[in-house]
Formats: sequence, structure tokens, C-alpha cells
Amino acid sequence: MEQFVNTFFNCVSLSSIILLTSLGLAITFGLMKVINMAHGEFLMIGAYMTYVVQNIFERFFPTAIFSLYYFFALIAAFVVTFFLGAVLERTIISRLYGREIDSLLATWGISLILQQAARSIFGMQGVNVRAPSFLNGGITIGGCTFSYNRMFILGLVIVCLIAVWYIMYRSTFGKQMRAVMQNRAMAQCMGINSKKVDMITFSFGSGLAGLAGCSVALLGSIDSTIGQSYIVNSFISVVLGGVGKLTGTVLGSSIIGFGSIGFENYTSASIAKAAVLLIVIIVLQFRPQGLFSVKSRKLDE
Amino acid sequence: MLKIKNIDSYYGESRIISSLSLDVDKGKIVCLIGRNGVGKSTTLKSIMGLVRTPKGSILLDGEEIIKTPTYNRVRKGIGYVPQGRDIFPQMTVYENLMLGLQAKGSKKEMPEYIYKLFPILKKFEKRKGGDLSGGQQQQLAIARALVTEPKILILDEPTEGIQPSVIQDIGNVIRKINSELGLTVLIVEQYLDFVLGISDYLYLMEKGEIIIQGNTAELDAKEVQDKMTH
Repeated sequence: MEQFVNTFFNCVSLSSIILLTSLGLAITFGLMKVINMAHGEFLMIGAYMTYVVQNIFERFFPTAIFSLYYFFALIAAFVVTFFLGAVLERTIISRLYGREIDSLLATWGISLILQQAARSIFGMQGVNVRAPSFLNGGITIGGCTFSYNRMFILGLVIVCLIAVWYIMYRSTFGKQMRAVMQNRAMAQCMGINSKKVDMITFSFGSGLAGLAGCSVALLGSIDSTIGQSYIVNSFISVVLGGVGKLTGTVLGSSIIGFGSIGFENYTSASIAKAAVLLIVIIVLQFRPQGLFSVKSRKLDE
Repeated sequence: MLKIKNIDSYYGESRIISSLSLDVDKGKIVCLIGRNGVGKSTTLKSIMGLVRTPKGSILLDGEEIIKTPTYNRVRKGIGYVPQGRDIFPQMTVYENLMLGLQAKGSKKEMPEYIYKLFPILKKFEKRKGGDLSGGQQQQLAIARALVTEPKILILDEPTEGIQPSVIQDIGNVIRKINSELGLTVLIVEQYLDFVLGISDYLYLMEKGEIIIQGNTAELDAKEVQDKMTH
């Protein structure tokens, strides 16, 4: 029983981490159809921002409030990656809409530049952040331990998920965003400034990657390749869930999270990875559009 | 109201329209007709700013708009109903309508007359736009353009793929919009009977140029018919 609860918590935790790293991608890739290879590097920037903010607090602020650095780090990570996302969209992505292969190559180049920049600034060695004191340890219930930082990430994911859902499906901006993504020319003909909507949407997706980076900084050391290690799972979960659907991304991340840990328990880590990929391949064989696909009556009949 | 002078329009590198001029007088229903591929839709897209128009001038109420981005042209008072309707299929009827209202930045309620003109839209408010029939989508497209409070309404083949009885309804709605709301209307059409019944002024287009124009009542319907079929 204890082992089952522990495993289950690990599954939920891994799923939530994958989901957090996938949310931004669900917007830039799922909604905007931009294959942004530099998305993982935005995650990396978010992680390094956490490190930077931590160092600032360590040097300039009294130790008593050190733990508060993490909240500022969350904000800083979001703001900086949001802003960088805006710059990237305006200078490069916006010129390449509808040219997937070109934008894939261009953003791959950006990704390499950002990785090298990180190496030049922070060195080859990985750096670590000290988790704020209130996230150290965990609670133990009946022999099962739930660590605070994993529960915190779970909470953060839920907050982000609700925020994204609200913005996409309930706000005026979300309506305009969906209109632009469905039919750019027609959205303009409704008086919507589609360039602005594109830019804000892309920036928002990038900002979410920054937030994800800030939270994975709690889990291990940060180096220039941290983005790469998360981005593959994120792409898979967005594709598996069905491009353009939020519920799909949630389900996709869960399948990968539960699959990885579940198989790992009975076999080994590498076999688990292969098994998860096998599941993905089989699902996409039968549902090439992903688990949730958008259906509607043909418009021109 | 709308004055187009000597515009050139391009799709990519190929020029579709050269030196086209066209006037739409205030309060009139003007039709632009012609066979497939002569550049009628492109003319409308030029007015909306959806294709490249490096040369010429487009005046809306005396104001030059040829360099204005599309969304601002809409805010200045051009309502557009595209060919194929282009309803947002994943959005409900209500959301489709609200888009036009909110884009102007107003927090206003949906104007009553919209539902009076199109009672069916009230009934299907919560349906996905993509689940409506062709005729219903056409009504939604017109209603959606109206909520942006245009001075001039531009329609691209409003009768295309729609059953005859509904075509009549749409004709009546356009007349009502023109007479009761005082909107100027520009229609691109291929369906000659519909055009002759509804328009005040007529332009016939061929190979990117206007070859016949005049008041509908004074034009020789036979000659127009001949030009359309040959």
C-alpha cells in the first residue's frame, strides 16, 4: 500500500512537471503551429533567472528574507522569457508564419546561440539553487513521504492550468487569440490587430516556459542543456494529446508521466523509456491527430 | 463613400488587377459582376487590405486608406463578408458575433436589431459556427460584419451555394440593411438575376478591368448577360 501511494505520488509529480513544461508549448506549437526549437532554452533561461535572483538576494538582502527570493524568481523568470519571446516573435517568427520547416531551422539556430550564451555567462559547470526553506523536507503520512517542493510544483501547475484555461476560453483576448489562430485574415477583417495578438500569444507561451524553468530549478542542477532534457517529453505530450487542445495536453503529459514511472518500477529506466515511446507510436498509428482532435462540419458545402 | 482610383493588386508576384477605378456612392447598393477569375474578389480584398496594392488610391469618406492595416480599415467602417463566409468554426455563434463587437473596444451589448434581422442566430446562439448550414453561416457572416458598425458593407458572392428561397431572404436582408440602417453596400456576384433585382449601380469586370458600368435600370440586361456568358 505504502509503495503504491509513493509510486502514485511520483507519477503525479512527474506528470505535473511534464505538463508544466508542455503548457507553453501547447500554446506556441499547439495553437500557433510554430515549431519553436528554442522553447527548451526559454525553460533554461527561466532556470538561470532563478539562480540569478537567488544570488542577488544572497548578496544584497538580509538572510531573514532569503526564502522569499523564490517568488521574485518566478516573476522574473516569467517576465524575462515573456519579453524575449516578444523579441523573438517580432524579429524572426513573425516573418516565417506558414513556413514550418524554415521556422524550425531558424529557431534551432536560436536554441544553439542561447545555449552557447548560457555557457559563456555561467560556465560549463552546472549551477544549483538552494530551495527556499519552506520547500525543504516534506510531510510523512503513514510511511509515505510527500516532499514539499514536488507538492509546490503540483500546485503551481494547477494554478497555471487554470490561468491558461481562463485566458484561452473565457477572456476577450483568448477569443481574439483563437480567432487569429483559426483564420488570420478573417480575424483582421473583424478589426483584430492580429500582429499584436500573435506577439502576445507567443510571448505568453514563452513566459510559461520560463515559469517551468523556475520550478525545475528546484529539482536538480542547472546547465545549458537543461532545456533539451525536458523539451522532448513536452513535444511528445502535446502531439500525443492532440494539437490545439488543453485537455489533450493534460492527458498526454499524464500518460507519459505515469507510463515512465509505472514501467520503471517493474523494469528499468531505459526499458520504461522505450515502452512509453512504443505507446506513443501505437496511439498515433490509430489516432494520427492525437487523442483529442478538433472536429467540425466542413465550412464550404 | 468609397472611391478607388487606379489601383494595382498583386497575389505574390502576379498582378491580378491593373489600374482599376470604381466608385461607390453613399446609400447605394452597387454590384460588381463578371465571370470567374476576372479579379472581382481581388478587388474586394484590395479594399480590405488583404492583398498587396502598391499603386493607386482608396478613399473612404475622403480619407486615404490604402496604407492602413486591415483591422484599422474595419474600425474606420468597412464591414466585410468574405466568399465562403469564413465563420470561425470552433466558436459558438455568440462568440463569433462578440468578436466584431469587442474588436472595436466597446463593452456594449449586442444590438437588438441583429437578432431582429436574423432570428435564427438567437435560436442557435450556443451552437458552434461550424455546425450551421451554409445559409445560416451566411446570415451569421452578415450579422458579424454588422456588429462592427460599418458605414459600408462589402459582400463577396453572398448567394454562392445557397438554396433559392434563402437567397431571397438574404436579398431582403440586404435591402433592409440599405434602406433602414442606411448602409452603403458593395456586392460581388455572379448570379445575374439576383444582381439585377437588388442593385442601383452596376460594374461589369473582365480581365482585371471594368468594361461596362451604369445605373442598373438603364443598362441593357441582354448585353450584360452576353458579356457574362461569353
